[in-house]
Amino acid sequence: MARMPFSFSAMILVGWLVASVLPGSRMIPASPETLRPSARDETRVHSLQARYKTLSRQLSQFMPHQPYILVDTARNHLYVKRQQEIVIDAIASTGSGIILDKPGDRNSQWVFDTPRGEFLVQSKLTNPIWVKPDWAFVEEGLVVPRNPADRVEQGVLGEYALGFGKGYFIHGTLYTRLLGKNVTHGCIRLNDGDLKSVYQLARVGTPIMIF
Amino acid sequence: MSLCAILLFLLSFTSPSRAADVEAFPDLSLNDPSALREASRVLEEELKLAARPQTYVLIDLVTRTIRIKGRGIEFHHIPIVAWSARSQRNMTGIYRLIARPSIVRRKIDPPATVEQEPISLADMPVDYALSFTPLLTIDVVPAAGNNPLQWIVSSGKRWWQNLKNWGDALLTDQPAAQDAHLQLAVSAEHAQSLAWSLVDGMSFVIRRPTDE
Repeated sequence: MARMPFSFSAMILVGWLVASVLPGSRMIPASPETLRPSARDETRVHSLQARYKTLSRQLSQFMPHQPYILVDTARNHLYVKRQQEIVIDAIASTGSGIILDKPGDRNSQWVFDTPRGEFLVQSKLTNPIWVKPDWAFVEEGLVVPRNPADRVEQGVLGEYALGFGKGYFIHGTLYTRLLGKNVTHGCIRLNDGDLKSVYQLARVGTPIMIF
Repeated sequence: MSLCAILLFLLSFTSPSRAADVEAFPDLSLNDPSALREASRVLEEELKLAARPQTYVLIDLVTRTIRIKGRGIEFHHIPIVAWSARSQRNMTGIYRLIARPSIVRRKIDPPATVEQEPISLADMPVDYALSFTPLLTIDVVPAAGNNPLQWIVSSGKRWWQNLKNWGDALLTDQPAAQDAHLQLAVSAEHAQSLAWSLVDGMSFVIRRPTDE
Protein backbone atom coordinates (compact mmCIF):
# COMPACT_ATOMS: atom_id res chain seq x y z
CA MET A 1 0.00 0.00 0.00
CA ALA A 2 1.38 3.40 -0.99
CA ARG A 3 2.01 5.87 1.78
CA MET A 4 -0.13 8.97 1.81
CA PRO A 5 1.65 12.25 1.14
CA PHE A 6 2.12 14.44 4.19
CA SER A 7 -0.24 17.22 3.00
CA PHE A 8 -3.07 14.72 2.49
CA SER A 9 -2.48 13.23 5.97
CA ALA A 10 -2.51 16.69 7.46
CA MET A 11 -5.84 17.42 5.73
CA ILE A 12 -7.35 14.26 7.18
CA LEU A 13 -6.03 15.18 10.61
CA VAL A 14 -7.45 18.72 10.42
CA GLY A 15 -10.76 17.39 9.09
CA TRP A 16 -11.00 14.90 11.92
CA LEU A 17 -10.22 17.58 14.51
CA VAL A 18 -12.83 19.97 13.08
CA ALA A 19 -15.45 17.23 12.94
CA SER A 20 -14.81 16.23 16.53
CA VAL A 21 -14.99 19.81 17.80
CA LEU A 22 -18.10 21.03 15.91
CA PRO A 23 -21.06 20.88 18.33
CA GLY A 24 -23.56 19.96 15.64
CA SER A 25 -21.56 17.05 14.35
CA ARG A 26 -23.25 14.61 16.71
CA MET A 27 -26.87 15.67 16.13
CA ILE A 28 -29.24 13.19 14.61
CA PRO A 29 -32.53 14.54 13.19
CA ALA A 30 -35.63 13.23 14.89
CA SER A 31 -37.59 10.78 12.77
CA PRO A 32 -41.42 10.89 12.51
CA GLU A 33 -41.59 7.68 14.58
CA THR A 34 -39.90 9.34 17.53
CA LEU A 35 -42.40 12.20 17.38
CA ARG A 36 -45.50 9.95 17.19
CA PRO A 37 -44.83 6.78 19.14
CA SER A 38 -47.01 3.91 18.08
CA ALA A 39 -48.88 1.65 20.49
CA ARG A 40 -46.14 -0.93 20.01
CA ASP A 41 -43.51 1.63 21.00
CA GLU A 42 -45.51 2.52 24.10
CA THR A 43 -45.68 -1.13 25.13
CA ARG A 44 -41.95 -1.41 24.58
CA VAL A 45 -41.30 1.69 26.70
CA HIS A 46 -43.53 0.36 29.48
CA SER A 47 -41.67 -2.91 29.52
CA LEU A 48 -38.32 -1.06 29.62
CA GLN A 49 -39.62 1.11 32.47
CA ALA A 50 -40.75 -1.98 34.38
CA ARG A 51 -37.35 -3.62 33.92
CA TYR A 52 -35.53 -0.47 35.03
CA LYS A 53 -37.72 -0.15 38.14
CA THR A 54 -37.27 -3.81 39.04
CA LEU A 55 -33.50 -3.51 38.75
CA SER A 56 -33.52 -0.29 40.81
CA ARG A 57 -35.50 -2.06 43.52
CA GLN A 58 -33.15 -5.04 43.45
CA LEU A 59 -30.15 -2.76 43.86
CA SER A 60 -31.75 -0.96 46.80
CA GLN A 61 -32.18 -4.32 48.53
CA PHE A 62 -28.39 -4.63 48.86
CA MET A 63 -28.26 -1.44 50.91
CA PRO A 64 -27.97 -2.08 54.66
CA HIS A 65 -31.31 -1.64 56.35
CA GLN A 66 -29.75 -1.13 59.77
CA PRO A 67 -27.34 1.71 60.61
CA TYR A 68 -23.89 1.32 59.08
CA ILE A 69 -20.51 2.97 59.58
CA LEU A 70 -18.92 4.81 56.67
CA VAL A 71 -15.29 5.90 56.90
CA ASP A 72 -13.79 8.43 54.49
CA THR A 73 -10.03 7.95 54.84
CA ALA A 74 -9.20 10.83 52.48
CA ARG A 75 -11.00 13.40 54.57
CA ASN A 76 -10.71 11.56 57.90
CA HIS A 77 -14.38 11.41 58.71
CA LEU A 78 -16.45 8.66 60.20
CA TYR A 79 -20.20 8.66 59.68
CA VAL A 80 -22.89 6.49 61.12
CA LYS A 81 -25.64 6.46 58.51
CA ARG A 82 -29.12 5.05 58.29
CA GLN A 83 -29.89 4.72 54.56
CA GLN A 84 -28.72 8.13 53.32
CA GLU A 85 -29.39 9.94 56.61
CA ILE A 86 -26.30 10.89 58.63
CA VAL A 87 -26.81 9.91 62.27
CA ILE A 88 -23.28 10.71 63.48
CA ASP A 89 -20.61 12.77 61.72
CA ALA A 90 -17.26 12.46 63.52
CA ILE A 91 -13.77 13.68 62.77
CA ALA A 92 -11.44 10.69 62.78
CA SER A 93 -7.81 9.79 62.25
CA THR A 94 -6.98 7.02 59.81
CA GLY A 95 -3.88 5.31 58.44
CA SER A 96 -0.75 7.34 57.73
CA GLY A 97 0.33 5.35 54.66
CA ILE A 98 3.88 5.32 56.01
CA ILE A 99 5.98 2.18 55.60
CA LEU A 100 8.36 0.49 58.01
CA ASP A 101 10.84 -2.24 57.11
CA LYS A 102 10.51 -5.47 59.07
CA PRO A 103 13.78 -6.10 60.91
CA GLY A 104 15.95 -8.81 59.41
CA ASP A 105 13.95 -8.89 56.19
CA ARG A 106 14.50 -5.94 53.85
CA ASN A 107 11.92 -7.30 51.39
CA SER A 108 9.08 -7.25 53.87
CA GLN A 109 7.39 -4.14 55.21
CA TRP A 110 4.54 -2.94 57.34
CA VAL A 111 2.27 -0.49 55.50
CA PHE A 112 0.24 1.66 57.86
CA ASP A 113 -2.92 1.96 55.75
CA THR A 114 -6.48 1.73 56.95
CA PRO A 115 -7.89 -1.20 54.96
CA ARG A 116 -10.49 -0.27 52.32
CA GLY A 117 -13.66 -2.15 51.55
CA GLU A 118 -16.53 -3.59 53.53
CA PHE A 119 -16.09 -5.05 57.01
CA LEU A 120 -18.32 -5.96 59.92
CA VAL A 121 -18.08 -5.04 63.58
CA GLN A 122 -16.70 -8.27 65.01
CA SER A 123 -16.23 -7.30 68.63
CA LYS A 124 -17.26 -4.59 71.08
CA LEU A 125 -14.90 -3.95 73.96
CA THR A 126 -15.06 -1.69 76.99
CA ASN A 127 -11.88 -0.35 78.58
CA PRO A 128 -9.72 -2.05 75.96
CA ILE A 129 -6.06 -2.68 76.60
CA TRP A 130 -3.51 -2.36 73.84
CA VAL A 131 -1.37 -5.40 73.23
CA LYS A 132 1.43 -3.69 71.35
CA PRO A 133 2.34 -5.44 68.11
CA ASP A 134 5.94 -5.84 66.91
CA TRP A 135 5.88 -2.68 64.78
CA ALA A 136 5.14 -0.51 67.83
CA PHE A 137 8.54 -1.50 69.25
CA VAL A 138 10.41 -1.55 65.95
CA GLU A 139 9.34 1.97 64.95
CA GLU A 140 10.67 3.28 68.25
CA GLY A 141 13.93 1.45 67.76
CA LEU A 142 13.22 -0.86 70.69
CA VAL A 143 13.72 -4.61 71.00
CA VAL A 144 10.53 -6.64 70.61
CA PRO A 145 9.87 -8.18 74.07
CA ARG A 146 9.63 -11.94 74.51
CA ASN A 147 7.29 -11.69 77.46
CA PRO A 148 3.70 -11.00 76.28
CA ALA A 149 3.02 -9.06 79.50
CA ASP A 150 5.57 -6.46 78.36
CA ARG A 151 3.38 -5.66 75.38
CA VAL A 152 0.34 -4.60 77.38
CA GLU A 153 -0.47 -0.91 77.63
CA GLN A 154 -3.58 0.44 79.33
CA GLY A 155 -5.54 3.63 78.88
CA VAL A 156 -4.37 4.56 75.40
CA LEU A 157 -7.35 3.29 73.37
CA GLY A 158 -10.11 5.16 75.22
CA GLU A 159 -13.09 3.58 76.93
CA TYR A 160 -14.42 1.59 73.98
CA ALA A 161 -13.18 -0.27 70.94
CA LEU A 162 -14.93 -1.86 67.98
CA GLY A 163 -12.91 -4.59 66.30
CA PHE A 164 -13.35 -5.17 62.58
CA GLY A 165 -10.79 -7.90 61.93
CA LYS A 166 -7.05 -8.48 61.46
CA GLY A 167 -6.23 -6.40 64.51
CA TYR A 168 -7.95 -3.24 63.28
CA PHE A 169 -10.16 -1.29 65.68
CA ILE A 170 -12.20 1.87 65.93
CA HIS A 171 -10.98 3.25 69.25
CA GLY A 172 -10.27 6.40 71.25
CA THR A 173 -7.09 8.41 71.44
CA LEU A 174 -4.98 10.51 73.75
CA TYR A 175 -3.89 12.59 70.74
CA THR A 176 -7.12 14.42 69.99
CA ARG A 177 -5.23 17.30 68.34
CA LEU A 178 -4.31 14.87 65.55
CA LEU A 179 -7.93 14.04 64.73
CA GLY A 180 -8.65 14.90 61.10
CA LYS A 181 -5.19 13.74 60.01
CA ASN A 182 -3.81 10.52 58.59
CA VAL A 183 -1.60 9.53 61.49
CA THR A 184 -2.57 6.05 62.64
CA HIS A 185 -1.10 2.63 61.97
CA GLY A 186 -4.36 1.58 60.31
CA CYS A 187 -6.86 1.81 63.15
CA ILE A 188 -9.55 4.49 63.21
CA ARG A 189 -9.38 6.95 66.09
CA LEU A 190 -12.25 9.05 67.44
CA ASN A 191 -12.66 11.44 70.33
CA ASP A 192 -14.29 10.11 73.52
CA GLY A 193 -17.77 11.54 72.87
CA ASP A 194 -18.05 10.30 69.29
CA LEU A 195 -16.57 6.94 70.25
CA LYS A 196 -19.24 6.46 72.91
CA SER A 197 -22.05 7.37 70.47
CA VAL A 198 -20.71 5.02 67.79
CA TYR A 199 -20.25 2.26 70.35
CA GLN A 200 -23.85 2.64 71.53
CA LEU A 201 -25.29 2.59 68.00
CA ALA A 202 -23.18 -0.22 66.56
CA ARG A 203 -23.91 -3.89 67.08
CA VAL A 204 -21.76 -6.91 66.36
CA GLY A 205 -22.47 -7.36 62.65
CA THR A 206 -22.90 -3.67 61.84
CA PRO A 207 -21.34 -3.05 58.39
CA ILE A 208 -18.29 -0.80 58.19
CA MET A 209 -17.63 0.63 54.72
CA ILE A 210 -14.20 2.18 54.32
CA PHE A 211 -13.08 4.08 51.22
CA MET B 1 -66.59 8.98 58.23
CA SER B 2 -65.76 10.93 55.09
CA LEU B 3 -62.83 12.56 56.94
CA CYS B 4 -61.50 9.09 57.78
CA ALA B 5 -61.80 8.08 54.13
CA ILE B 6 -59.85 11.17 53.04
CA LEU B 7 -57.17 10.47 55.65
CA LEU B 8 -56.87 6.85 54.53
CA PHE B 9 -56.63 8.00 50.93
CA LEU B 10 -53.84 10.43 51.79
CA LEU B 11 -52.03 7.84 53.92
CA SER B 12 -52.04 5.41 51.01
CA PHE B 13 -49.61 7.75 49.22
CA THR B 14 -47.12 7.45 52.07
CA SER B 15 -47.21 3.67 52.37
CA PRO B 16 -43.88 1.82 52.67
CA SER B 17 -44.37 0.14 49.31
CA ARG B 18 -44.31 3.50 47.56
CA ALA B 19 -41.36 4.69 49.65
CA ALA B 20 -39.46 1.59 48.57
CA ASP B 21 -39.66 2.66 44.91
CA VAL B 22 -36.07 3.84 44.80
CA GLU B 23 -34.93 5.02 41.41
CA ALA B 24 -31.26 4.42 40.73
CA PHE B 25 -30.99 7.31 38.27
CA PRO B 26 -33.28 10.20 39.23
CA ASP B 27 -32.15 12.12 36.12
CA LEU B 28 -33.40 9.41 33.77
CA SER B 29 -36.12 10.26 31.26
CA LEU B 30 -38.58 7.41 31.60
CA ASN B 31 -39.89 7.96 28.07
CA ASP B 32 -36.54 7.52 26.38
CA PRO B 33 -36.14 3.85 25.37
CA SER B 34 -32.42 4.00 24.71
CA ALA B 35 -31.74 5.81 27.99
CA LEU B 36 -33.85 3.19 29.80
CA ARG B 37 -31.93 0.39 28.12
CA GLU B 38 -28.58 1.93 29.06
CA ALA B 39 -29.69 2.53 32.67
CA SER B 40 -30.88 -1.07 32.95
CA ARG B 41 -27.61 -2.35 31.48
CA VAL B 42 -25.66 -0.36 34.08
CA LEU B 43 -27.95 -1.58 36.86
CA GLU B 44 -27.43 -5.19 35.80
CA GLU B 45 -23.67 -4.68 36.10
CA GLU B 46 -24.06 -2.83 39.38
CA LEU B 47 -26.16 -5.63 40.84
CA LYS B 48 -23.24 -8.01 40.32
CA LEU B 49 -20.88 -5.59 42.10
CA ALA B 50 -23.25 -4.64 44.91
CA ALA B 51 -23.77 -8.32 45.77
CA ARG B 52 -20.18 -8.50 47.04
CA PRO B 53 -18.45 -6.68 49.91
CA GLN B 54 -16.43 -4.30 47.77
CA THR B 55 -16.14 -0.69 46.76
CA TYR B 56 -16.67 0.10 43.09
CA VAL B 57 -16.87 3.13 40.84
CA LEU B 58 -19.68 4.19 38.56
CA ILE B 59 -18.64 6.74 35.96
CA ASP B 60 -21.87 8.42 35.03
CA LEU B 61 -21.19 10.33 31.82
CA VAL B 62 -24.85 11.40 31.64
CA THR B 63 -24.79 13.35 34.89
CA ARG B 64 -21.02 13.94 34.63
CA THR B 65 -20.31 12.36 37.99
CA ILE B 66 -17.88 9.77 39.27
CA ARG B 67 -19.62 7.83 42.03
CA ILE B 68 -17.69 5.76 44.56
CA LYS B 69 -20.13 3.13 45.74
CA GLY B 70 -20.59 -0.05 47.71
CA ARG B 71 -23.73 -2.18 48.14
CA GLY B 72 -25.52 0.26 45.85
CA ILE B 73 -24.87 3.14 48.26
CA GLU B 74 -23.06 6.23 47.08
CA PHE B 75 -20.13 6.96 49.43
CA HIS B 76 -18.71 9.93 47.61
CA HIS B 77 -19.14 11.67 44.29
CA ILE B 78 -16.80 13.67 42.13
CA PRO B 79 -18.07 16.07 39.46
CA ILE B 80 -16.66 15.70 35.95
CA VAL B 81 -15.99 19.07 34.32
CA ALA B 82 -15.63 17.66 30.80
CA TRP B 83 -15.12 14.31 29.16
CA SER B 84 -14.36 12.78 25.80
CA ALA B 85 -14.31 9.17 24.67
CA ARG B 86 -13.03 6.93 21.92
CA SER B 87 -14.87 3.67 21.18
CA GLN B 88 -17.56 4.71 23.64
CA ARG B 89 -19.92 2.18 22.03
CA ASN B 90 -17.74 -0.62 23.40
CA MET B 91 -17.65 0.64 26.97
CA THR B 92 -19.99 -1.96 28.40
CA GLY B 93 -19.44 -4.50 31.12
CA ILE B 94 -17.29 -4.36 34.21
CA TYR B 95 -13.73 -3.05 34.01
CA ARG B 96 -11.10 -4.08 36.58
CA LEU B 97 -8.38 -1.61 37.45
CA ILE B 98 -4.96 -3.11 36.73
CA ALA B 99 -2.69 -0.08 36.83
CA ARG B 100 -2.97 3.18 38.73
CA PRO B 101 -0.51 5.95 39.55
CA SER B 102 2.19 5.01 41.99
CA ILE B 103 2.30 6.92 45.24
CA VAL B 104 5.54 7.81 46.92
CA ARG B 105 5.25 6.62 50.49
CA ARG B 106 7.54 7.87 53.19
CA LYS B 107 9.45 5.37 55.26
CA ILE B 108 10.09 5.40 58.99
CA ASP B 109 13.75 5.13 59.83
CA PRO B 110 13.77 3.96 63.47
CA PRO B 111 17.30 5.08 64.37
CA ALA B 112 16.47 8.62 63.22
CA THR B 113 14.34 10.70 65.52
CA VAL B 114 12.80 12.71 62.67
CA GLU B 115 9.08 12.02 62.50
CA GLN B 116 7.82 11.23 59.00
CA GLU B 117 5.02 13.27 57.50
CA PRO B 118 1.97 11.07 56.88
CA ILE B 119 0.60 10.68 53.40
CA SER B 120 -2.21 13.08 52.52
CA LEU B 121 -4.46 14.05 49.63
CA ALA B 122 -1.84 16.59 48.57
CA ASP B 123 0.53 13.70 47.81
CA MET B 124 -1.85 12.32 45.21
CA PRO B 125 -1.32 13.04 41.49
CA VAL B 126 -3.61 15.36 39.51
CA ASP B 127 -2.86 14.05 36.01
CA TYR B 128 -2.71 10.28 35.58
CA ALA B 129 -3.80 7.28 33.57
CA LEU B 130 -5.73 4.25 34.75
CA SER B 131 -5.53 0.94 32.89
CA PHE B 132 -8.18 -1.71 32.94
CA THR B 133 -9.03 -5.17 31.80
CA PRO B 134 -10.83 -5.58 29.39
CA LEU B 135 -8.75 -3.03 27.54
CA LEU B 136 -9.68 0.50 28.57
CA THR B 137 -7.62 3.52 29.48
CA ILE B 138 -8.97 6.39 31.51
CA ASP B 139 -6.95 9.59 31.56
CA VAL B 140 -7.74 11.81 34.51
CA VAL B 141 -6.66 15.34 33.65
CA PRO B 142 -6.95 18.68 35.41
CA ALA B 143 -9.81 20.86 34.22
CA ALA B 144 -8.91 23.98 32.23
CA GLY B 145 -10.21 26.51 34.73
CA ASN B 146 -8.39 25.00 37.65
CA ASN B 147 -4.77 25.70 36.88
CA PRO B 148 -4.26 27.04 33.32
CA LEU B 149 -0.55 26.24 33.24
CA GLN B 150 -1.12 22.68 34.40
CA TRP B 151 -3.89 22.33 31.81
CA ILE B 152 -1.67 23.64 28.99
CA VAL B 153 1.12 21.21 29.91
CA SER B 154 -1.30 18.33 30.25
CA SER B 155 -3.12 19.15 26.98
CA GLY B 156 0.20 19.57 25.18
CA LYS B 157 1.29 16.12 26.31
CA ARG B 158 -1.93 14.56 25.09
CA TRP B 159 -1.83 16.36 21.71
CA TRP B 160 1.73 15.26 21.24
CA GLN B 161 0.85 11.66 22.11
CA ASN B 162 -2.11 11.71 19.68
CA LEU B 163 0.02 13.18 16.91
CA LYS B 164 2.71 10.59 17.60
CA ASN B 165 0.14 7.78 17.39
CA TRP B 166 -1.18 9.17 14.11
CA GLY B 167 2.29 9.61 12.75
CA ASP B 168 3.28 6.06 13.72
CA ALA B 169 0.10 4.71 12.17
CA LEU B 170 0.78 6.54 8.89
CA LEU B 171 4.43 5.58 8.73
CA THR B 172 3.89 1.92 9.52
CA ASP B 173 0.65 1.53 7.55
CA GLN B 174 -0.90 0.14 10.73
CA PRO B 175 -4.34 1.43 11.72
CA ALA B 176 -4.31 3.82 14.68
CA ALA B 177 -5.16 2.24 18.03
CA GLN B 178 -8.91 2.02 18.58
CA ASP B 179 -8.89 0.76 22.15
CA ALA B 180 -11.56 2.14 24.40
CA HIS B 181 -10.34 5.37 25.88
CA LEU B 182 -11.97 7.85 28.20
CA GLN B 183 -10.66 11.21 29.25
CA LEU B 184 -12.09 12.83 32.35
CA ALA B 185 -11.33 16.43 33.23
CA VAL B 186 -11.88 17.11 36.91
CA SER B 187 -10.61 19.72 39.33
CA ALA B 188 -7.15 19.08 40.79
CA GLU B 189 -8.61 18.39 44.26
CA HIS B 190 -11.09 15.90 42.82
CA ALA B 191 -8.39 14.18 40.76
CA GLN B 192 -6.40 13.70 43.97
CA SER B 193 -9.48 12.51 45.82
CA LEU B 194 -10.18 9.91 43.13
CA ALA B 195 -6.54 8.75 43.12
CA TRP B 196 -6.78 8.29 46.88
CA SER B 197 -9.93 6.18 46.68
CA LEU B 198 -8.64 3.74 44.07
CA VAL B 199 -7.51 0.27 45.05
CA ASP B 200 -5.98 -2.45 42.90
CA GLY B 201 -8.55 -4.58 41.14
CA MET B 202 -11.33 -2.07 41.75
CA SER B 203 -14.33 -2.47 39.46
CA PHE B 204 -15.63 0.30 37.22
CA VAL B 205 -18.91 0.60 35.34
CA ILE B 206 -19.62 3.33 32.81
CA ARG B 207 -23.03 4.83 32.08
CA ARG B 208 -22.97 6.28 28.58
CA PRO B 209 -25.15 8.98 27.10
CA THR B 210 -27.52 7.72 24.43
CA ASP B 211 -28.12 10.88 22.42
CA GLU B 212 -25.92 9.94 19.49
